[in-house]
Amino acid sequence: MRSVMSIAHLTFSEALRNKIMYAVLAFLILMLLAASVLASVTMGRTELMILDLGLGGISILANLMAIVITIQSLQQEKESRTLYVLLTRLSSRWQYIVGKFLGLAMVLGGLVLLMCALLTVLVYLFGSVYPLSLLEACLSTLLETWLVIAVAMLFAQTSSLFLAILLTLCVDIAGRFTTVIYQFGQQSDASSLRILTEIMYYALPNLEAVNLRNSAGYISSYASDLLVHVFTYGFIEIAFLLILAAYIFEKRNLS
Amino acid sequence: MSALLEVENLSLTVPTGHVIQGRKPVLNNVSFKIMKGKATAYLGPNGAGKTSTFRILCGLARKDNGSILFDGQPVHRCLPAKNLGFMPEQPYFYKNLTPYELLCGLGRLSGIHEKELPSRINTWAVKLDFNHILHQPMSACSKGQVQRVGIAQALIHQPDFILLDEPLSGLDPLGRELVRNVLRESVNYGATLLFSSHILADAESICDQVIVLNHGVVAFEGGMEDLTVSDKKWHITFEGELTPDIDIKYEQLRENQYRITVADLRDRDHAIQCILASSKATLLTIEPEKQTLEDAFIKLLAKDTSL
Repeated sequence: MRSVMSIAHLTFSEALRNKIMYAVLAFLILMLLAASVLASVTMGRTELMILDLGLGGISILANLMAIVITIQSLQQEKESRTLYVLLTRLSSRWQYIVGKFLGLAMVLGGLVLLMCALLTVLVYLFGSVYPLSLLEACLSTLLETWLVIAVAMLFAQTSSLFLAILLTLCVDIAGRFTTVIYQFGQQSDASSLRILTEIMYYALPNLEAVNLRNSAGYISSYASDLLVHVFTYGFIEIAFLLILAAYIFEKRNLS
Repeated sequence: MSALLEVENLSLTVPTGHVIQGRKPVLNNVSFKIMKGKATAYLGPNGAGKTSTFRILCGLARKDNGSILFDGQPVHRCLPAKNLGFMPEQPYFYKNLTPYELLCGLGRLSGIHEKELPSRINTWAVKLDFNHILHQPMSACSKGQVQRVGIAQALIHQPDFILLDEPLSGLDPLGRELVRNVLRESVNYGATLLFSSHILADAESICDQVIVLNHGVVAFEGGMEDLTVSDKKWHITFEGELTPDIDIKYEQLRENQYRITVADLRDRDHAIQCILASSKATLLTIEPEKQTLEDAFIKLLAKDTSL
């Protein structure tokens, strides 16, 4: 466990100083401010509009950041040969995968929570919303970011920097529409398409299943069984992706 | 003296091509032994398979064939992490971390106690003369400074077996001298060292053993002197005068001191007898001609290639 935490600590310290992260954070703050200006001049409850725009923006930017920072961190570690130095100190390669995930999850998770805190402050400047559902939405966004980190870690083991970013981005987009893809397939007459969409439905991580943003602020709280379902699914999917990444990494020859 | 590392019939092939995959042999039945407490240079031209051997020993690549024994125990994937200190060729580590943070992290990974870390890091930073850059980002460090940090990370946990890939590349003459001293000191304290280098003068000054690899095959394995000392040319020095009837060529070194150079063992023995037979001459030294490791290496590879 000490080895895993040491890798996590190194990853955390390195990623925390990544300039991309601060650039995106600055962009998001600007976006939130722009959203509040826009919302204040439109009809309806300003605070809810800011909340909707803000949560959506945080989700998209956090996922983009998770993809770029995760893949860049893994690739740079390999190119700089730091990976070799780390692996000779570990008894098994899965420790590296878990350590990397924890380190990145801490950095990006912290960033998501910071952005959510900023959003909450902004929302409460314009009015009040149901705080518990807002908190649940923020936590589900955090879970979604962790899920994307796990997907990025899997693709970083199998392909080059550019391809890994592209594939993770595709999964991120498709993962938001798995139910739509499934329903589209079921309505089709072609059996091959039905099979293909079914495979996609079960194979792709269902990001929509961990999305609690749609009713955030509008309802007092989400149903407890839905929360259990969302978080159980999220953690099982992360565990599955990490096991798969560790298995592929274990088999790889490093050149 | 027993062997710490025994490598037998190690073979490795790597994929070639993009669409149609072939396999190219990199190591072909490589066998060698590394003795405990000795420094061994692992030499060879570019592409000989040195780094590939290190990759297998560190568990970064899987061997196709062969066996590895470490301290008598079979190694399945990589050498035991606790006993191994490894530095890859030209690492540049995390650019945003400072050497101190990097060494803290890697020290923790090697099981060094948290309380011990600062003193160990400072000791190695002073020894390798990078204490002035200990708290500046790695991105601001020069190549030689990063190399020193790399050596420190390999030695910080005082491993039994030190494996270094080109540890002296990118260092200035002072840095090279410093690293040579540090490596010699580690070996004197009982560590076993195996390192590859293209700077053969450094290898010669540090090592007792040499392994030369050429085209994935061991071309030479043995003591440094076995490779550098020639039994074909001998220098015999004496002082005084030889009996006038002895017909042998010699050159004057200094006043009343002369040197005879002979090309084989029979001539050497004859020259010794002549000196001993001369009542006014005293035999001083009998030495085989010693060539530099670089000369010996070039000759060995030329011979190996012509075979």
